[in-house]
Amino acid sequence: MATAMDQLIEYIEYILTPSAPVFIVGALIVVLVPIIVHIFVSRATPYTNLPSVVLVGPPGAGKTSLLTLLERGDAATPTHTSQVPQSIELTVSVDQHLSFREAVKDDAPGEHKKFLLVDTPGHGKLRNFAMDSLVAREGLKGIVFMLDAATLDENLAAAANYLYEVLLALQKRVSATKTSKAPSAINVLIAANKSDLFTALPATLVKSNLEAELGRIRKSRSKGLLASGVGMDDVDNEENDDWLGEYGSEKFTFGQMQEFNIEVDIVGGSVTEAKVDKWWHWVSERL
Amino acid sequence: MLDTFEILTTSGVVLWSRSYAQVSPSIINNFITDVFIEEKGGAIAGAKNNQSAAQNPPYKADQHTLKWTFVKELGIIFVAVYRSLLHLSWVDKLVDNLKTIFVDLYGDQLKKPNTTLVHCHKFDGYFDQQLRELESTTATKGAPAPTFTLETDESISGNLGDEPPLPPGLKHRNAKAQDVAHDLPSTVESTPIATPTSSRPSTPGDHLVVGKGGPMSKMSRRARKMQKGPSAPMSSGDESSVRKKKAPKKGRKWDADGFADEEDDVQLDYSAAPNSITSDSEAEGRTTAVDSVDTSTWGTKTSKGQFVLRDLDDEVHDILASAQSKTSTTSNSGLVGSGLNTINSLFRNVVGGKTLTKEDLAKPMDGMKEHLIKKNVAPEAAVRLRDSVEKELLGVKTGSFESIDTRIKKAMEVCLTKMLTPTSSLDLLRDIELVTRPSGFSSQKARPYVMSIVGVNGVGKSTNLSKICYFLLQNKMKVLVVAGDTFRSGAVEQLKVHVRNLKELTEREGGQVAIFEKGYGGDAATVARDAVRSATSEGYDVVLIDTAGRRHNDQRLMSNLEKFAKLANPDKILMVGEALVGNDSVAQARNFNASFGQGRSLDGFIISKCDTVGDMVGTLVSIVHATNVPVLFVGVGQHYSDIRNFSVRWAVEKLLNSS
Repeated sequence: MATAMDQLIEYIEYILTPSAPVFIVGALIVVLVPIIVHIFVSRATPYTNLPSVVLVGPPGAGKTSLLTLLERGDAATPTHTSQVPQSIELTVSVDQHLSFREAVKDDAPGEHKKFLLVDTPGHGKLRNFAMDSLVAREGLKGIVFMLDAATLDENLAAAANYLYEVLLALQKRVSATKTSKAPSAINVLIAANKSDLFTALPATLVKSNLEAELGRIRKSRSKGLLASGVGMDDVDNEENDDWLGEYGSEKFTFGQMQEFNIEVDIVGGSVTEAKVDKWWHWVSERL
Repeated sequence: MLDTFEILTTSGVVLWSRSYAQVSPSIINNFITDVFIEEKGGAIAGAKNNQSAAQNPPYKADQHTLKWTFVKELGIIFVAVYRSLLHLSWVDKLVDNLKTIFVDLYGDQLKKPNTTLVHCHKFDGYFDQQLRELESTTATKGAPAPTFTLETDESISGNLGDEPPLPPGLKHRNAKAQDVAHDLPSTVESTPIATPTSSRPSTPGDHLVVGKGGPMSKMSRRARKMQKGPSAPMSSGDESSVRKKKAPKKGRKWDADGFADEEDDVQLDYSAAPNSITSDSEAEGRTTAVDSVDTSTWGTKTSKGQFVLRDLDDEVHDILASAQSKTSTTSNSGLVGSGLNTINSLFRNVVGGKTLTKEDLAKPMDGMKEHLIKKNVAPEAAVRLRDSVEKELLGVKTGSFESIDTRIKKAMEVCLTKMLTPTSSLDLLRDIELVTRPSGFSSQKARPYVMSIVGVNGVGKSTNLSKICYFLLQNKMKVLVVAGDTFRSGAVEQLKVHVRNLKELTEREGGQVAIFEKGYGGDAATVARDAVRSATSEGYDVVLIDTAGRRHNDQRLMSNLEKFAKLANPDKILMVGEALVGNDSVAQARNFNASFGQGRSLDGFIISKCDTVGDMVGTLVSIVHATNVPVLFVGVGQHYSDIRNFSVRWAVEKLLNSS
């Protein structure tokens, strides 16, 4: 009993007398504890600084299919309506034009770059995620707007409406910046999917149809009612706030978006036939 | 029989699927949209986490029934699709068991971020095993699946000509276990020919098939076809004849498991009995018959399949049993453990990163519900919102330095936004343009766009109609206003005053407006029809039809609406609802939404008098909750110009504003 007591007292004395080992241990504790606490607290937040490309578009266009095709490299899996966004990590080689199949392989030549491809749900009620990510997402390098070129006749209005929202959000993002330094360019690829189907329109026709429809939407929006809350709550309400493209212009063309540092390309392709190399190259050039 | 079984993630990727019959993908797409996204079918029909498939209401569409279950933390949905005609009682169990197995085997893979790859090729085996097991148990027990017998009866009578050995088969099917045993000897005696010639090699998996009763029925044929797919390599006729010598011994082993199977195979043999009059000696016949029985039961498990399957069986049972025990035992790690837990959770409360449980959420969630009710949201809708937020948050970790309240507020914002956001775009002018000036491609002829407005008395139908009219007139349209209220005195005159005012106001703008009226006492539906006809011939752009106000629970008045919808056939039926109304708004919206007959419902709401309620715009939520119909406009004042497009963000801000 007494020896145990003595030992304890010895220990305490040793700890309280200044000596090299005690200093070292103490210093280690002082340095390490905050670091451990920090790791403990921030462990949950994932590493998100990769550049990203967001897939948007009306439902049924093939966004999730493209995602699975690019990830698997051989063929797309069957998919259904998405409810939540999904991101995957992909590798692209910087200096060489590789097809997406080659790029998926681990031993692909050239310098590599990782990026996140983010799939968003296309359903009308779930679009706010996509719209939020356009504005807030860090490291956003490009937007792939997918649409179904085979059923564009019926779905033109819906697709164009969504595209209008997307482009308008991008335009506002540019015009809202107060500093003289322009925000990084975010380019838009309109991927006209399903070119394997007989009824699919070629990219040029898709372009002209979309431009015409966007022009019409722009016109009818400008004449529409104010949204509730505008004017009452002093929400930012500038003139020509909702006018897409060059203000007052007669016809809308995608070229007008260049004024806002937004380049729009339209490329056809097909996920089911794995003809997505053009899109893949577009993406790799933007990273 | 099962048409399709799919395992898919909430992000839309199909992880694993097996299909026996072509099922249009749109069925599952619609299922997802209706159940998960739009939450149709009333209050909290939405996906409850981890609920058994039996408790989830089956989704029926296009002659198919979908049984499903959902694991939220992994974001995977299990769906089984089968024809609604069949009543497969074991599908619930199949879905549940497969869920347990899949989660157990691949749960870790599913938790990986930034990938959709899940390597689950081996799941085929587990699926086959489960399907076989459940099918055979239900079939041999007989009792839980009365519909099987019913169907067999039908198909048997249908196939009467093709199947000579019917009478014994029928008798046998209805027989209970004792009868089977009783009949056994005679069966054995009279079935010598069948196997030696291996006349049934095409049906190695027959123990299932026959289990359902009479042989060669429609059911069994489908089952056999299905069975042939997955288990084809396991056995063939040749194999079974080669192994015949060994069969008896090993076959006995299987009796413990597959006792019923053997019995059933006897049934099949029995049905074929009358064909085999040319049998040899009795003794010989007996041995071959035993052989044949054993080979066929043996056959399903023979070759490579046997050991794999046995292992699989055990493994699957282990998984299921462990899952069972997991749910029954509760973790209790003593006093010290619980003390540490409380300290940890207090710490987590402050710095965030806490995993939310039902207890954590209960109190703040009730507070949120009260808050919503104070904002004039009907209790029914508030409870639904509370439940869906709770569903969203259970098991979620809070972010760094985020309190539970802020997390709940965030989730509520998402929920409200999702609820109030319309499914499709609601650009009225664009819609009108499409109808009145159809593009060159479409085959539609130009016609006026017809809108009608319904609602309870005194909510402001005529006022809102004239507001919309004013808006259209400013866009240089030619509008015909129809006085469809032929009941209340002064209603027509009131509209006339509106039209006169509007004419004066918009003369310079270039719009044209006229009134169409037939006085009082007429039938509103015919007046509306005549008005639409005359508008078509005179080239109007828009027809706006006012209707008489009616109490939503007055059956007599409400029934007129169906005829009205049929005769006038409006492109849009809008209902005006007061922001002032409290809980009754739910019933109003429901009754009006249901009153237009099959296949027609409201297209939108106008919420009037929003300026009088301040922040208490809960009515908006109540009616959207009740009907899933979007709000188009809100009325915000007394002037013709005081009508606004509905902005979801504005409403959500007002609802969550706690000042």
